[in-house]
Amino acid sequence: MSAQARSRVAGGERLAWIFADRIGRQTRLHYVFANGASLVDVGSDAAGSVQSLTPVTPAAEWYEREIRDRFGLEFENLSDDRPLVRVEPPDELRKRESPEISTVLYGPIRSGIVESARWTIDTAGETFVEVAPSMFFKHRGLEERFVGVELELAPFVAEHVSGATASSHAAAFCRAVETVADVHVPERARAARSVLVELERVAQHLDSLGKLADDGSLSVGSAQTFAAKERVHRLLAAGTGHRFGRGVCCVGGTRFDVLASLREACDRELEEVERHARSVVQTLVSTQSLLDRLIGAGKLTYEQVVRFGAVGPVARGSGVSCDARTGDDYFYTPLTGEEVLESNGDAAARALVRAAEIQRSFQLIRNALSANPPGDWLAKAAPRDGCGFARVEAPQGELIYFVRIEGGRLMRVAIRPPSYANWPLFVPSLPGNIFTDFSFIEHSFAASQSEVDR
Amino acid sequence: MSWIGYSLRRGILSTRYPLRADSMAPAYRGAVESLPANVEAQALGAGACLSSALTAAGARARVDRKRCFQCGECARRSPEAFGMRNEFELAEVAGNPDEVRSLLRERVRGLGRSVHLRHVDAGSDGSEEQELQAIFNPFYDANRLGIFLTATPRHADVLVVTGVVTRAMAQPLLAAHEAMPQPKLVVALGTSACSGGIFSRSIAVLGPVSDVLPVDVFIPGTPPSPLTILHGLWVALGYAAARGRS
Repeated sequence: MSAQARSRVAGGERLAWIFADRIGRQTRLHYVFANGASLVDVGSDAAGSVQSLTPVTPAAEWYEREIRDRFGLEFENLSDDRPLVRVEPPDELRKRESPEISTVLYGPIRSGIVESARWTIDTAGETFVEVAPSMFFKHRGLEERFVGVELELAPFVAEHVSGATASSHAAAFCRAVETVADVHVPERARAARSVLVELERVAQHLDSLGKLADDGSLSVGSAQTFAAKERVHRLLAAGTGHRFGRGVCCVGGTRFDVLASLREACDRELEEVERHARSVVQTLVSTQSLLDRLIGAGKLTYEQVVRFGAVGPVARGSGVSCDARTGDDYFYTPLTGEEVLESNGDAAARALVRAAEIQRSFQLIRNALSANPPGDWLAKAAPRDGCGFARVEAPQGELIYFVRIEGGRLMRVAIRPPSYANWPLFVPSLPGNIFTDFSFIEHSFAASQSEVDR
Repeated sequence: MSWIGYSLRRGILSTRYPLRADSMAPAYRGAVESLPANVEAQALGAGACLSSALTAAGARARVDRKRCFQCGECARRSPEAFGMRNEFELAEVAGNPDEVRSLLRERVRGLGRSVHLRHVDAGSDGSEEQELQAIFNPFYDANRLGIFLTATPRHADVLVVTGVVTRAMAQPLLAAHEAMPQPKLVVALGTSACSGGIFSRSIAVLGPVSDVLPVDVFIPGTPPSPLTILHGLWVALGYAAARGRS
């Protein structure tokens, strides 16, 4: 069956995800392709060893390595045989023979307030020669944690996958279950979810830009960007009861009439939030000393992005159109205007994409708030058996959830976070750059480690 | 120049907390509170808790705030037995709060008014880091209280640990603690760090921070708000007594 997946790759479709699902003693592999606004799942039962897709697309590498490490499936001709999920002790890492190249272990605890991950950096003094990530230090078994949890409570587990983008995770999970339960989610709930996801996007893009400003020693610029971000969290606290908008989404809609409370909070505060965010972003992108550090750093070509199947601002910064909101009628607000694209593919391009998306998100928030669809905010969902997919454009890109429900219970939840699709591309973006570019490139990716490790 | 002008036009944003009172939005779900109710109503709310923070018992349910991740589902399902309040001073210590306060004060006396934090992510969800970062934004400005970040554990006085401790992070966490000079304090930041939260029965994790290191102050919340964190650090430095009991 991987032959069918191969022909789809050859046909130019984007491989969005490969994951495994174990039913009884049988392991089933799902190859998920993105075809315009829809997802196509090519499923196959795996027995013995499977032909790897890595000879035709590097996008398959991390997925296949993780499946091998967690499900014990062997892939023939896998391009990288190192473990992905098991964290190696440092002495097991391969040694370089060349005397002028030295190897530095960076992590898992690094300077500053950062999530845990380790980078093995081969360097010839100043420039990066090769960088290898060791991740899954933070593996918490979240996909397994879903199993058996009551459907009404399970969105809380999804919110633990990535707390900073919890609304996107909860919305994507609920939407996946809703495709199985065949429930019509009220428009009022859809509007509320779109406001939450867009506010989250504003906050997370500001976080990325604030960290870039901090990397560029722009302390006032960084402080003001984080102040603008703080205003978003205060708005969310007033409108939802949580600073990251958690505890709102549930299967069939929202837990309470959150659109009403969000409208009330936005009437008071949205104008000031928007003014602060817009002005700080405008000043940041016109600060030449910051742009000088970003231009040319971590360059990714259009072809690289397409080959690796990257998503979100990372893809759009290299001119690759990839926005799960486009052509999606699920959220109440139709997406108006052109997708934000930049063509340079460097850290500056990704920052400009985020800056423009912040402006666009405010427009979407205002659209949804003023539409204010009347009626109920929660529809009764009758649990049915089956499998379902859903995707949401999270701040870092396309987020996909898969659920399998049997007897009204969750039997398998699989998550393809946007950061997982983007991290493999971080590695080829580094060689040729120098040590002090690392944090600029890292923060221009703005990947969340917790959602990758799960 | 443009940034200086920009900042001046924005004016002073900083809170005076903890020297003056501050508050969270009225709707903020900070602390879960149990109300006098019958056992059925208590059990209805407790059954909705994914992290087993609530136990139906007697006149009102028992609440373990270190386990609560602030979803508010208990209060939604059983408003007679549970309520959420916008309280944010949630820090707890092991033992009598007043005794612990004077012991902590004694331990950190030599630090003066300059305290350095070293953060370690032992398995967080990523939002705790952002809220810890937020205490240094202009609204909270922890620097005004003499609280600073340091890159190396060698300079650190307080180890701030976020997240439930995963199997892979236990050894690096212990190494960071070992590298710190005396006197050293350990703060568990976030519900997962304090109690394991929803992960307490997961085989992928070792458990809460207190299973690996001696924890001085617990700051619950998923994630704790910046004001909650400032209060918790104030408790760690012995300036305030923890409100709750262990």
